[in-house]
Amino acid sequence: MPSAALMHWQNDRTLRLDAVEAHCAAVGALLPPDPTFLNETLRGFVLHLSAHFQGFCRDLYTECSQIWIAALPVGLQATAQAQFFAELRLDKGNPSYDNIKRDFNRFGFLLDLQAAGAAGPQQVTDLGHLKAWRDRAAHQGTRPLGGGVPAVLTPPIVQGWRVSCGALAASLDDIMRTELDRIMGVPPW
Amino acid sequence: MTTENLIEPLRVGTVVKILNSGYRRAKIAEYRGPLGPKGARVYRVLIQKKPRCVYIEVREDQLEVLAGG
Repeated sequence: MPSAALMHWQNDRTLRLDAVEAHCAAVGALLPPDPTFLNETLRGFVLHLSAHFQGFCRDLYTECSQIWIAALPVGLQATAQAQFFAELRLDKGNPSYDNIKRDFNRFGFLLDLQAAGAAGPQQVTDLGHLKAWRDRAAHQGTRPLGGGVPAVLTPPIVQGWRVSCGALAASLDDIMRTELDRIMGVPPW
Repeated sequence: MTTENLIEPLRVGTVVKILNSGYRRAKIAEYRGPLGPKGARVYRVLIQKKPRCVYIEVREDQLEVLAGG
């Protein structure tokens, strides 16, 4: 059984992203083609995808920390909650790999999503590209995107980023289940 | 008022006390969902604390609704 955060990703966030993706497909099929509207629509898809992945990461962080904190004596719980949520990157920052690592490393291990599977490095790269395009869309950036980031958005590119986000969500869920099991001696979910 | 047996989640703006803590007054800022152990409801609460406000996330069973909240 997965975490509540992953179940919410699979049963709610995925359906919402399906609807956005279907809208992109409909805009892409317009006759005559409207490339400007398609580009705007894909930028919207990028923003939705980044927001939902951030929401998942924040939900999983909350779930893991609350499970960990509930095992403490009651007199320590509020103090631990204050520490766990102080300066949380995922609260306001984007779900970049760096922000995810900084927050989840608070559990006392070094998060390595790249080592989670053969596709891990590519998934982390995709997350970085999603972040670059998320920033460009949100801030109306015009500067060239370096570092191998696609210069033009296309439906297959954004769909690929979405697949990577889904895989990273499953990897993060699995890693946290293993780590909490190790720390607490019982599976968290 | 304790939060035992609540059917609906507490509303945003409800004034609460965090039990077994040094925080006397806090406000519900957001219902985060059933993210606690065994599906316990979790809230983001706002604590007015100088020099700036602090948010923390707590379980429903840690809260007591204050009169007039």
